Amino acid sequence: MTQAKHDSPTVNPIVLFSINHPKIITWVMTLITVIIVSLAALPNFYPKELSFLPTIKVDTDPENMLADDEHARVYNQQMKTEFSLSDIVVVGVTNKNNANGVFNSKTLANIHELTQFAMGLSWPDKKHPEKTAGVISIDLLSPSTVDFIEQGGLGSVNFSWLMSEPPKTDAEALLVRERAKKIPFLDGTLISDDGEALALYIPLTDKHLSYQVREELLAKIASFGDIQESYYITGLPVAEDTFGVEMFKQMAISAPLAMLVIFLLLWWFFKRLIFVTSPMIVAMVCAMSTMGLLIITGHTIHIMSSMIPIFIMPIAILDAVHILSDFFDRYNTIRDKRETIIHVMSELFTPMLITTLTTIAGFASLALTPIPPVQVFGIFIAIGVFLAWLWSITFIPAFIVSISDEKLESFISATDKDDKKQKTLMARLLVKLGRFTYNHALLIILFTVSLVGVAAYGISKINVNDNPIKWFAASHPIRVADRVLNEHFGGTYMAYLALEVDQNSTQNADFKPALLARLETAEQQAKADEYANTGVIFTLAQQSIQNHTGDIASLSPVLEALINTGFDNASDEEFDTWDQVQLFMDSESQRDQIFKQPDALGYLADLQTYINSLEVVGKSNSLSDVVKTVHRELLLGKPEEFRIPDSSNAVAQTLITYQNSHRPHDLWHFVTPDYRKTSLWIQLKSGDNQDMDFVEKAVAKYIASHPMPHNLQANWFGLTHINVVWQEKMVTGMFESFTGSFLVVLVMMILLFRSFSWGLLSMIPLTVTVGLIYGIIGLIGKDYDMPVAVLSSLSIGLAVDYAIHFLSRAREYTERYGSWEAAVEPLFSEPAMAIARNAIVVGVGFLPLLAAPLVPYQTVGVFIASILFLAGVSSLLILPALITLMPRLFFRNLKQTV
Amino acid sequence: MNIKQLLLGISTLVASSIVFAAPTVDEIVNRTNYTAYYQGQDGKAKVKMTISDAQNRTRTREFVILRRDVPTTDELAGNAYEGDQKMYVYFSRPADVNKMVFLVLKKKQGLDNRWLYLPALDLVKRIAASDKRTSFVGSDFLYEDVSGRNLSADKHVLIGEDANYYIVENTPIAASEVEFSKYVMYIHKTTFLPISTEYYDKKGVKYKTYTALAVDTIDGHPTITKSEAKNLQTGGSTLMEYSSVQYDQGIPDDIFSERYLRKPPRKLLR
Repeated sequence: MTQAKHDSPTVNPIVLFSINHPKIITWVMTLITVIIVSLAALPNFYPKELSFLPTIKVDTDPENMLADDEHARVYNQQMKTEFSLSDIVVVGVTNKNNANGVFNSKTLANIHELTQFAMGLSWPDKKHPEKTAGVISIDLLSPSTVDFIEQGGLGSVNFSWLMSEPPKTDAEALLVRERAKKIPFLDGTLISDDGEALALYIPLTDKHLSYQVREELLAKIASFGDIQESYYITGLPVAEDTFGVEMFKQMAISAPLAMLVIFLLLWWFFKRLIFVTSPMIVAMVCAMSTMGLLIITGHTIHIMSSMIPIFIMPIAILDAVHILSDFFDRYNTIRDKRETIIHVMSELFTPMLITTLTTIAGFASLALTPIPPVQVFGIFIAIGVFLAWLWSITFIPAFIVSISDEKLESFISATDKDDKKQKTLMARLLVKLGRFTYNHALLIILFTVSLVGVAAYGISKINVNDNPIKWFAASHPIRVADRVLNEHFGGTYMAYLALEVDQNSTQNADFKPALLARLETAEQQAKADEYANTGVIFTLAQQSIQNHTGDIASLSPVLEALINTGFDNASDEEFDTWDQVQLFMDSESQRDQIFKQPDALGYLADLQTYINSLEVVGKSNSLSDVVKTVHRELLLGKPEEFRIPDSSNAVAQTLITYQNSHRPHDLWHFVTPDYRKTSLWIQLKSGDNQDMDFVEKAVAKYIASHPMPHNLQANWFGLTHINVVWQEKMVTGMFESFTGSFLVVLVMMILLFRSFSWGLLSMIPLTVTVGLIYGIIGLIGKDYDMPVAVLSSLSIGLAVDYAIHFLSRAREYTERYGSWEAAVEPLFSEPAMAIARNAIVVGVGFLPLLAAPLVPYQTVGVFIASILFLAGVSSLLILPALITLMPRLFFRNLKQTV
Repeated sequence: MNIKQLLLGISTLVASSIVFAAPTVDEIVNRTNYTAYYQGQDGKAKVKMTISDAQNRTRTREFVILRRDVPTTDELAGNAYEGDQKMYVYFSRPADVNKMVFLVLKKKQGLDNRWLYLPALDLVKRIAASDKRTSFVGSDFLYEDVSGRNLSADKHVLIGEDANYYIVENTPIAASEVEFSKYVMYIHKTTFLPISTEYYDKKGVKYKTYTALAVDTIDGHPTITKSEAKNLQTGGSTLMEYSSVQYDQGIPDDIFSERYLRKPPRKLLR
């Protein structure tokens, strides 16, 4: 062995500096970390004094998966404003102890009391003290707050509160149910399909108040004492807020727990605490400084960014473990800590630099995805990985040289014995494995190829889907509430379809013939009604229209002027006739109130019928239901009158009747006051993005085969739609980012090994790992959601590391021992050991995440472990097997090669 | 100046010269109810209503109100500040509600009778008047604001006064039947017009205000010709502008019947 060659001062000057000045390095690292952490932490304790620094902001809003200015979001916001729609907390009430469910006087009394209480839940707005924040009481839906229309005595129609006060008897309670079931808007929304449960919909001025509102409601419910009924509080805002709280728990418990397990495993491998502490320090420093930087730069703690520490820790430990593992083996022969570490560092410096660069490339590529939280996640992990590399090549050597020689001596001698013991376990196994790969290379490759085939089948089965509610474990109260409510009601996931007039649609160029025809009809009507001088006056209007040369918009001022002159000069009798001309003009201007037109409402009703027939849809509500319901009740409640009336005037008069209620503003949730936009509410039974996607595609198909009248166009909005939009972006974005970073890493590998075939070879474990992981995901039917998508980047980061370490040693050893065959055994001692240790330590270290109550963390835990295991195994099996099968391809210049 | 007004002036003079002190709260609310709802034997007004929402999107309605008092007296001493009353509200615009009519037979005792005529459905519909605190055709005014609230429904307390106004607090006697906990009226001292009214919800938070924006003396009667209702909960508001206000037009009694719903009295509505 040529020791001198390795001891040559080719070692990086930074590393050399660290070895020569270990104290300075330790101080620099401590100082930088303390500064970053204090800058991030202190503003939260002294917000006033440090107002120029950002505080920790938690963001659990799924909308933020899209950028602020993303069209889908801007449109959603615009529509929410136009239709006065708010974020809603849903309180479901069931009563299993009563044959009539909640419809008994006792339960309804409690619900009434809870409603009154909820209506009072408002506080001065922190940002605008003159306004109040909290529950929007006028939009609250509860039996106590909604109107109801029915036949009164003497053929009269009765508008009244559904339940103005709690029913005194159970019979009265049943009447509430009977009435509510008759109103389509309430049936399946307020009152359950089975008629046993009720739901209150509590709109909020700001969804961030939902946790507070939920706590208040829970306290109020607790004050009812011993009750028969059960209350379930859910709704997306509650889920989001609760998720934020759980997320912090997660970061405070699971991440440190994972750290502890890694620590114990490292201890078991290296036996001496003093060796184990240094990787732990590096991991901690990197995780803390990265999170610190994230906060200082004003980024939010999001579902993605909260996972940054969990991703950084294993990567930070990887380098340290390589150094320590190598140091172990070398110290025995070199017996000088300084020389050993220089030797180790000169040998590892390049592969470590390259693995770091490839990992950074993998994560930084996420910055190219169109999803902001994923971008932040990728960029900050890249920063963390860089820090991990920096402190691994400086602090770890500095730490090792700081250990006194005596300690090191006693430590090494102690591990010597342990080493022998270990050899009986893992090392022996690895040597056998090495021989196996050499002797049965073809078998391994055939096995791999068949596995890849199975994986390919699995990938074809992958189901792209996400559901924020499913981020909670199945037993979580939020999931339970969600399940109960969706069992009883038409669904609690709201999707909205806006129908509006296409602004770009071209106006009918020749408007005159139709207009004149309508004027003729109006004239005939006026004549029939015996207005004075009808013929003369209407002819004046007719001539004005005929002589007009401009477009329809410029015609109305002309006619207005004509009418005003007419009014001024008219006798009392003629005044009425001119009024009829003006009436005609007014009705002409109302022609663009599209959603008073029976054909538009009819289309809406048909579309709704189609949508309701879709399996994933529970129920839908629209303007046409309102019109039909009021029309039926105006006409003696006859079922056959549950229809859209025949003229736009009849629709308008039906709607004005509807507005003679306690809640006239309810109408504006369905249509804008200009009647040019309408919103169709769809209640989905699940929050699965694939269900929403299915509905969107089905509706698009329906509209394509049933063209909309009046140049209408349909656009989706609401959170369920936003989820679909970012999911689509995620799938395509992740694929592009993965492809991009794969190619970048491939080029880096080709440059590193200065060989195309070696470069390609080093990508094989990574490709197999990613393929198998996604194949398994497809086969077991796990949805391809966001955490799963991000895993592909982690695979690039970790799987290629093992290949780099293994292959660079393989080359070196083949050169050193003269042939590949001779290199196999030493290759499967120390280098293979380092890889195996790495895979086990880090993999097992993440299994504590399985105990997490939030599913994304569980997913990440399981798949990190699987990726590490697969990457380790595939590096150790496939790479040697391929080299064995095709030695000429890889060792062309090596004369000794077999 | 007509006889009635003269008499009114004298009675005021007499009352104030005898008592030499502020009128009692009952006198104040009685006179206010008179000026707001009962001036003249009958009355007519054209109204333009502009309904705005929080986003300043507006809608308009135009209608004519015909009113006739059942009691034949117009003197306060003869209780002309209350009593049965008939109202015929004819909608002219927007075009799609043209000819819609709303008829109210207001009763001092018992429930009012209300009818609605929807011309496009050719439908005359009786409306069960169980609750008068519903919106008037989608505006921020309630039916009760248009027809008047029964004086005996509230307890009235004079809680203060300044140079121009009596401040009267009104608390509902049947609190469970209404959505407010009280309303405070600012009543002009010489005209007895309610210039401003504020409604408070059950938590004591002000949620609705009514303000007179213009007052005119027509046929000797101080008359609000422009008033606004603001809903502080929705952020919406409604402006009512009165024109062609006329009193004592001799509006025939038979106009206020079902028969005239389908065939509006064109001349009276001009």
